[in-house]
Formats: sequence, C-alpha cells, structure tokens
Amino acid sequence: MDMKESENNCREELIALKKEYEEFVYIVSHDIKTPMRAIINIATWIEDDLGSNANQDILDNFSLLKNRVVRLENMMNALLEVSRVDKTKMELYEVNIPKLVNDCIKMLDNKSNVEFHITYHLKDENCITLGKKLEKVLFSLLDNAIRFHDKEKKNVIIEITENDADYEISISDDGPGIPEEVRDKIFSIFYTVNSKDVVDTTGAGLTISNKIIKMVGGKLHYAPTVSNGSLFKFNWPKTISI
Amino acid sequence: MTHRLVNILLVEDDEIDVMNVKRAFSKNNIKNPLFVAGNGVEALEMLKSVIIPLPRIIISDINMPKMNGIEFLKVLREDEKLKNISVFVMTTSNEDSDKIDAYNLNVAGYILKPLSFEKFISSVATLKNFWQLCEM
Amino acid sequence: MICSNILLVDNNKIDVVSTKNAFSTLGIATTLHFAESENEAWSLLQGDHKISPTPKIILIDINENGLSGLNLLYNIRRHPDLKSILVFVITKANDDENKVAALNLNIAGYIRKPIESENNIDFFSILNDYWNIIEYSSEKK
Repeated sequence: MDMKESENNCREELIALKKEYEEFVYIVSHDIKTPMRAIINIATWIEDDLGSNANQDILDNFSLLKNRVVRLENMMNALLEVSRVDKTKMELYEVNIPKLVNDCIKMLDNKSNVEFHITYHLKDENCITLGKKLEKVLFSLLDNAIRFHDKEKKNVIIEITENDADYEISISDDGPGIPEEVRDKIFSIFYTVNSKDVVDTTGAGLTISNKIIKMVGGKLHYAPTVSNGSLFKFNWPKTISI
Repeated sequence: MTHRLVNILLVEDDEIDVMNVKRAFSKNNIKNPLFVAGNGVEALEMLKSVIIPLPRIIISDINMPKMNGIEFLKVLREDEKLKNISVFVMTTSNEDSDKIDAYNLNVAGYILKPLSFEKFISSVATLKNFWQLCEM
Repeated sequence: MICSNILLVDNNKIDVVSTKNAFSTLGIATTLHFAESENEAWSLLQGDHKISPTPKIILIDINENGLSGLNLLYNIRRHPDLKSILVFVITKANDDENKVAALNLNIAGYIRKPIESENNIDFFSILNDYWNIIEYSSEKK
C-alpha cells in the first residue's frame, strides 16, 4: 500500500512540476519579449537620429547592440517554442511523405549549391500523423545540414523507409560532422558547436526536434558518416499516443 | 483624405509603441492630427469632448489596462455617433480568438505589430496608401 | 498572408474582365469568384453554390445600374457566419446617400475606382498590399 501510494504521489508531483515548468517558461519568454522589442526599436531610433555621418564606431556599436538583442529575442522564441512543443499544431491529418519532404526543401534558404539525394522505401506514400510536427523535424534537420556545412558544393542524403510499426528516417550530409567530445551536448538548447559569431543560429533546432520525436514515441540518434559528415537517424511511430 | 486631413486617434498604452507610430507616421509624411489615449476609457473620454471633429480613423491595441481593445470596440459600435469610424487593430496578439472578436466587431483591418521598425515603417506606408484610396 | 477566396460582386462585364486581368498581372494568389447580382452573391456565400472556405473579402461594385449592393451588405451583416467578412465597396459613381448607408454598415473601405482602366493595376496593387499586411481569422469550411 505504501509503495503504491508513494508511487502515485511521485507521479502527481512530477505532473505538477512539469506543468509549472512549462507555464514558467512560457510566461518568461512571452513577457520578456516586450521590453526586448522596445530595446531594438529605441536603438534603431537613435541610429536613425544620428544619421549616416555619425562616428563609425558609434554606428558599429549600435549594430552590435541590435544584433545581440535580436539574438536574445531568437533565444526567447526558441525557449517559447520548446515549451510549447506539445501544445500547438497538434493536428492529426493525412500527409503525403514525398510532398512533405519537397515542401520542406522549398522552405530552405541557401540551397543553391545543395544537391539532395532522396530515397524512399514506402509501401504507402500517405499516412495520418502529426503533419506539422514531422515537418518541423525534417525542416530542422535539413536546415542544420545546410547551415553547418563547410564546403562549396553540399550533398544532403534523405532516406525514408516504411516498417510495420514506424518510419525510419535518416538525413545525412558530407559536411564537417560533429566532434566526438561534444556529441552528447548537441541536444541541449542553445548549444552550438561553433561560436555564434561564426554561424548565426540559436541552436534550438535539434532540441525541438528531439523533443518532438520523443513526444511521439521515437528516438533520435547521431552517428558520423564514412566521410566524417553527420548522420541523424530517427524513427517516427505510425501510431502516436500522447 | 484629400483636402482636409481627418483626425486619427491612437489607443495604445505602451509608450514605445506610441513613439513607433509617431515616427512611422513622420517617416511616411502622414500629417494628420494624431490624438493618443492610453486605454479604452481615456479614448471614450476624448471622443466625447476633446477630438473635434471626430476622428475617421482609430488605431487600437487589444491588450490594455482598464478597458481592452475589444471592450472598447464594443462600446464604440453601440454608440450612434461613433459606430461608423474605421478601426484598425494593431497588436502583438496572434490569437485566433482576438482576430475573430475584432472582425465580428467589423474592424477594417487586424495588423500584427512587426518585430522590426523598418517593417513597421513599410506597413504604415501601405496603410497610408490604402487610407488615401478610401472615402471617409 | 492573403486568404484563399475573394468574392467580386459586379454586374459590369467590362469591369469584371479588367479586374480579373489586374489580379492576374499582379500575381494575386487568391481565387477570385464572381457574382453579377445580389442573389447570385448570396447563393455563393451561403446557398447552394457556397464557396469553400468562406471568402474573407468581398468587393462590391455598387451604383451600377440596378446593383445597389446595400441589401446584400445588410444581409451579410445580419448573418452569424458571414457578418465578420471584410467588405470593400468600390464605386465609380458619386452617390453620397449610398455612401453614408454603407459606412453605417461598417465596411472596410468605400473606395473610388479609377475611371481609366489603365490605372486599375495601381489601384488593385494598393489593395493587394493592404490585404497582405492584415491578419485573417482561421478559415471556415
């Protein structure tokens, strides 16, 4: 009796804590946005009033100021997004997998020197799933593959295989790969392998993708490819129970 | 809006956003007299006695203290003298429920405050062109 | 981003063609539907040929020989599913009486159309820019 009771208490406490955490993250990131927007606006006004003839150092510093506040804003947005993963865009609808992949590719920036190699092993091209969530994961992984690539000509390989109970999806590239020492950190929010001055990104794409995949009952793995590029592989269950 | 410049009333409690509107108006050469109220209650007071003639355009936020934008809009639509003023909502709220409430009270447009000042200037430019097309 | 469907209520065939052309020249992505009378418009809004999803924007060209548009507007405003639609009244005429009546029914704009159809592109370009900066509530089937 005691064991059962304490188990229930623990579970209830866990649920309450989770709720409190998510509310906290939402409130913080939502309310902080207003004064942050104000800072960007005021910096822009001062820049504007100074005119282009002002001291270049001053103008440079305003540029830095605005850039850092935008970064702050992006981090807040990322935090907000992570906390809302299981709250928004949770509709189940029929998705055509090749079309979804193509739509994601269309939304990518800087894909001019990218060659996509896509292979499908599907019994049925359509499935009913959390379309917007799958789209988010695919887009984030593809976006990362391009954004962190170090070569002029980039190759991104997409492979989707349908199994009885799930889909196996892998996205790999011939980019620089992720050093072994930091592989366990890459799913932490805001972690970036390079300094944010080198590649401008909030570093939340993997965190959000990982959370979504866990939410639907799948798992996300990283492995290096033979050419020392990155391979991200995950399974997406056909039946989602949340 | 060709010969006589109509009065415009801005209902907004955030001083930064008020400044944004004033600056964007100035950048776009909008010379209409601009009146500012900090919330719905203040706006109604101004409409009752201060602003003469009555404004033909009201720009209003939704989240404000004392009386929010939707409540203000309801009172407006129930007043014979005020009900046909064109109202444009300018807010940070992306909630569908707010959009539905606003359009059910027949706002002429629902605009999300953009993140950058440059985008805001361009939105106001579009608004200005639209206002110039309209007979008020 | 603009909504899926716009309904144009206009019984002047030349104007309708010129509007269609303006939309296509400007590359306006939304689907344009046409009605020549208030009855036809009404059936497209909630009758047998209901447009789906319901248009969020209606353009009424009033004062064109028998089409006053005011009745339609009045009925739209009284219908629970349609009352929130943005209505723009476009006219070439100079009828103040209809203008006051329309304004009292909370239209989004009472707009004078250019007489010369060459200026139509600029005219619709301004409207299109405006439609692109405003938000719409989620579309209903």
